[in-house]
Amino acid sequence: MIIDKATLQVLANHCAAAAESMGYTLMRTAYSTFVKETEDFSCQLMNSRGATVASPMTMGATWYTGLDYGPVIRMFDDYREGDVYGTNDPYSGHVATHSPDMHLWAPVFHGGELVCFVGNHIHNTDVGGAVPASLSRTLTEVHQEGIRIPPTLLVRDGVMNEEMVRTLELNVRVPEQNRGDLNAQFACLKVGERKVHDIIERFGVEAFKAGLDQLLDYAEEQARSLVATIPDGDYEFADYADEDAANGYPARINLTVKVRGDTLLFDFTGTDPQLVSSLNMPTGGNPRHSLITVGLVYVLYTLDPTIILNSGTVRMLDAILPSGTVVNCEFPAAVGMRSLLSNVLQAVIVGAFTRALPDKLPASPGNGLSLVNVRTTTRGGRTIMASIGPVGGGAGGGPYEDGAEGSGANMSFLKNTPVEISESEIPIRIHKYGLVPDSGGAGLHRGGSALLMEFQLFAPQSMVTARNRDRSMISAWGVEGGQPGAQSTFTRNPYGPAPEELRNADIVPLQPGDTLRLIGPGAGGYGPAHERPIEKVVEDVRCGFVSVAKARAGYGVALNGDGSVDEAETAKLRKAMAASATTDHFSHGSGRVAFESVWTKARYALLTRILREVPVTWRFFVKHELFRVLEGRTAGRDGGTGELLAAYGDLAARFEDLPPASAFADGAVVPVAAE
Amino acid sequence: MGYRVGVDIGGSFTDFAVFDEQAKTLRSLKVFSRPDQPGAEVIEGVKGLAERYNVPPEEIVYFTHGTTVGVNTVVQRKGLKLALFVTEHFRDVLELARLKIPNMYSLLSKRPAPLVTRDMVFGIPGRMLADASVAEPLDEIAVEAAARDAVAAGAEGVVISFLHAYRDGTQERQAKAIIERVAPGLPVFCSSETWPIVREYERTVTAVIGGYVQPRVSHYLGSLQQALKDVGVPADPRLTKSNGGIMTAEQGKQQCVQMILSGTASGVIGASYVAEMCGIERCMSLDIGGTTADVALIKDGTPQYGIGERIGDFQIFIPSVSVSSIGEGGGSIAWVDRLGVLKVGPESAGSRPGPACYGRGGTRATITDAFVATGLVGHSDLGYNAVHVDVEKARTAVGELAAKIDRSVEETAEAIINISISGMYSECSGLLSRFGVDPRDLSLLAFGGAGPMMACFLARELKMGEVVVPPTPGVLSALGGLIADLKNDFIRTLYLDVGPDAVPVLQQTFAELRKAALSWLKDDQGYGGPHELIYSAEMRYRGQSFELDASLDAAAIEEGRLDALVEAFHLAHERMYGHADRDAPVQLITARLVIVGKTEKPEFPKSELRPGPAKSDRSVEAFLDGGKRTLPLYRRADLLAGQSFSGPAIITQDDCTTVVPGGFNVTVDTFGNLRIVLGAAA
Repeated sequence: MIIDKATLQVLANHCAAAAESMGYTLMRTAYSTFVKETEDFSCQLMNSRGATVASPMTMGATWYTGLDYGPVIRMFDDYREGDVYGTNDPYSGHVATHSPDMHLWAPVFHGGELVCFVGNHIHNTDVGGAVPASLSRTLTEVHQEGIRIPPTLLVRDGVMNEEMVRTLELNVRVPEQNRGDLNAQFACLKVGERKVHDIIERFGVEAFKAGLDQLLDYAEEQARSLVATIPDGDYEFADYADEDAANGYPARINLTVKVRGDTLLFDFTGTDPQLVSSLNMPTGGNPRHSLITVGLVYVLYTLDPTIILNSGTVRMLDAILPSGTVVNCEFPAAVGMRSLLSNVLQAVIVGAFTRALPDKLPASPGNGLSLVNVRTTTRGGRTIMASIGPVGGGAGGGPYEDGAEGSGANMSFLKNTPVEISESEIPIRIHKYGLVPDSGGAGLHRGGSALLMEFQLFAPQSMVTARNRDRSMISAWGVEGGQPGAQSTFTRNPYGPAPEELRNADIVPLQPGDTLRLIGPGAGGYGPAHERPIEKVVEDVRCGFVSVAKARAGYGVALNGDGSVDEAETAKLRKAMAASATTDHFSHGSGRVAFESVWTKARYALLTRILREVPVTWRFFVKHELFRVLEGRTAGRDGGTGELLAAYGDLAARFEDLPPASAFADGAVVPVAAE
Repeated sequence: MGYRVGVDIGGSFTDFAVFDEQAKTLRSLKVFSRPDQPGAEVIEGVKGLAERYNVPPEEIVYFTHGTTVGVNTVVQRKGLKLALFVTEHFRDVLELARLKIPNMYSLLSKRPAPLVTRDMVFGIPGRMLADASVAEPLDEIAVEAAARDAVAAGAEGVVISFLHAYRDGTQERQAKAIIERVAPGLPVFCSSETWPIVREYERTVTAVIGGYVQPRVSHYLGSLQQALKDVGVPADPRLTKSNGGIMTAEQGKQQCVQMILSGTASGVIGASYVAEMCGIERCMSLDIGGTTADVALIKDGTPQYGIGERIGDFQIFIPSVSVSSIGEGGGSIAWVDRLGVLKVGPESAGSRPGPACYGRGGTRATITDAFVATGLVGHSDLGYNAVHVDVEKARTAVGELAAKIDRSVEETAEAIINISISGMYSECSGLLSRFGVDPRDLSLLAFGGAGPMMACFLARELKMGEVVVPPTPGVLSALGGLIADLKNDFIRTLYLDVGPDAVPVLQQTFAELRKAALSWLKDDQGYGGPHELIYSAEMRYRGQSFELDASLDAAAIEEGRLDALVEAFHLAHERMYGHADRDAPVQLITARLVIVGKTEKPEFPKSELRPGPAKSDRSVEAFLDGGKRTLPLYRRADLLAGQSFSGPAIITQDDCTTVVPGGFNVTVDTFGNLRIVLGAAA
């Protein structure tokens, strides 16, 4: 070991400094407002094989602390000093995760030797394609999602690959933004390179190179020692997105976390087939793909916030990512809105770990946080587009405290847009913005409340987009007796004669004078609500987080007209609640309970077996046909596999590309082996 | 002729700087702070000045004062129980803040609890729009009812913050009048009067913090005035403000929000003055105390200003000297993690119990203990004999960690120093990138009790060319107050699209701001000397979510030269972000005017330079840069202007120790500053 344990933190700090400097440079020089506002970017200091050693911890997207550029780095073998490479293609090496993300990397040389790489990415506002901003869940193939640049040499000997940049500019809607942001990315890489030289000067090149690997090893050791504290076992959990396409059926992610000593295996068998919409996650089957590891990083960091985060953190992880499913889609599946299912995936991972560590981790966050954008016209006829902020739910109730209100957990990085700014910039009237009483799941520690925003537009041909809307049917789950959060709602003209429920719509055209009301999903509660200290319930009522009715029904606290506690009644109510308390680890909302009465575990296992054998291009169709046929057909005690097999039989009889039902007719439903 | 006194009341110590107008000498004094009895330390100090330096209280003609009482009230959450009146249906403005959660990677992270709990937030019907039109009149009956409810719920004050009140405060004033009628004597604060900026959270939290600290600050200032009167000081005390200026104590009682960062701003003003005096164009001040390590950027003797400075859990959005925290100071605790890796911070031993070597009950090794264990610090008492250094206690504390990582005590101590320096390096590095500043262009100006001890190490990492240690680094904050000018900011939020129509609005706005500014200086501050007016505007490209402050030329405003005004913004944008878009539409959000009334500055005497080697007092053994060495120890009081010597060396003085590693050369300049340069021959 070249760097000892008394000095390792010094190197870690210097690497962090390099990453932070890169991040600040990128944010400062970025051209598009989108980058500055949403901080949807990342920067990496990598070792010579492309494993991320350091990334900024206080800014940027939270998903890329362990990003591995190895697959794209290995596509080239003549790296030279000053080179810069880039790609935004989610299917070339599986580093970029959708086309707006432009990833760049550059080798750093010392004395003629390649010692490491630096990299970064920016989410471009638009990269062309079928829709402005290049993202819509209605898109069905990656080709509709804008220009894709395969891993390409962009700069050599100080000369930019102008042809490539012109091609990019020709294909996008606001070329000066892409060009400006690309320049910021170059500036960021330059700073990274300079900082690396500073570190080498400080520590020596051999110590630096070895030190990077030691930092990876250190992060690995830290993570392994955390995993070792988790009881060995198999922890299964599934969660759903409400819709797998516009007005579709739920999309399921099923995970079994297998803890063995200091190693983890994520088995995603039972996860839904890839979709004919853009919610798919292009992981390429890489078990340590950034989209797969986000949730794990959240869990580990929550368990110990002093650990360092880099590629080493997730080395103990292996994963089974069945090909042709939403967690490992095959080309040319559209992937633009992978964030929606990625959010579900994060909740699934947290959920599975709560089974192992119920006293350390929280209930489900609200998730389904939608990014609301408005397009309308001013009185002068100018078209104006603006983000009026995210509307979602809070963080799940935790083992020690209530969840954060209005946002939090895996949605912590977003900022809102001030009402005063929206009303100054756009002809809009925001009528309400705030927290929703009773929306957080009841519990010993209450789930965070949902956000509400209600607004009105006045010009014809106005349009509202609300990306990532979810959980209008399937609520955020509670744990350890904590109750699920309230569902989200989306209503047009809620006070008019005919309120219209828009559920998970993500594009809504509005008539002049129309009012929209968005309510995010409440987060799940933690622990039995009847054990919540009475004074905390009273305080929640006084503060308006909980209504008098909910205090009674959800917490067993009866209040008199003057706000004082009816002690006798409360004792009675709480006794009854304790007697009928659930012993299940998870508590789910009515939407999920109803759905799972049709789609039982047994049926889902059979469905998974069938879909595995169906050609990839058929899977989405078959799933939808079977869902349609079984709609409302509650399963009997046997789990209802018979009806499903029959329905499939009818389908297979119609299409000879499908394997016959007899292939699945072996009666007993056996667990599906991994691929 | 008389004495000018600057005082800085910190968490542990209160520093006094006294300038003798006749002799042109600067003296300093340190006493323990008395948080239990604010004002007592001032009396003690004034008496001390009389005893030690023969400064008669009645000859103190000028008295300025920087205080942390505002910050501490927020940090300790010991302010007023407030009610907040907001526009109906927007009750969660404090609860939600700007939505972002502090620790993005932890599933359990939460925003800090607001200073006003939700049950004390009252939604009031009445609505103004962005164009200042009234969509719904204020519901006066609702205000009255809310006022009664607030009082019944124990409110000790009310903050009013209605949507778009930055445009027009009429509805807020209307509500204020009703509350004052319902609850006479209850303090009421309007957001439009506190600081009328657009963005409801930022304006509201600023008004809330102002109201929250008001009674404590005002009470404190009252007792200070009384205390000074009692000991016979004729000067009416003045206060340093967050913006680096000063104002009268009387005004401070009304405008607490202006002096919350009084203490930190003073230090930077002191540093700026030293930088200007030495002709240093660009520098970074480094102020390290027992519990904080702060840096600020200074260019041409002017500190960088910003809005959104951090106060405890919150930010406050008034123009302030921009100071950034880069660590927890000399009290940061070192520890060994479960994999045997040595770490430092973020836990701090604070001022109580403090480092182990203070012998006040601390047992865990801190950065200060590490310096003591290496032998670099501890050769004299700290803080004017207020703290006796116990070397053995430091070695024992560091020794516990040494056993865990299997290194010698000295090696471990040095590793602790390296880790803490690298942590500060990391913070500085990010900060400088954020502002696009190259550290190699900067000097590092060190002060505070622990600044000079660590500065050379940090400068070495950042590749800064020079470290400057002023003659009395411990009292630079106190000195800052002596130097600060009368200064006030005036703003109006306009939210204009910049075009020909904007010119008359801008002209009229600035005329009104100028009138208010002149009245502040002459009528409120009783000042008749020369003044300076600084015009600027916060502008942005349409669609951007942040503004940049661009300096404007007064003549260009007067003559209505629109192009010049817009170009000022393009240039500011280019400077900060490296690019500008001269075709893009520009918005002017806020017009700003700063008025400065210059106060008389103490002139520091120059000593004639007599080049030659400095004479060390003795040699000491210390562990530095990997090995045990014999280092010369210099007494600061013995060093004369023009003398020089090379590192490694230690310089001790009453209020701090300066550590100079090998490779640095030290020269004493004409003002008595240590100028420590890397690499240059002595």
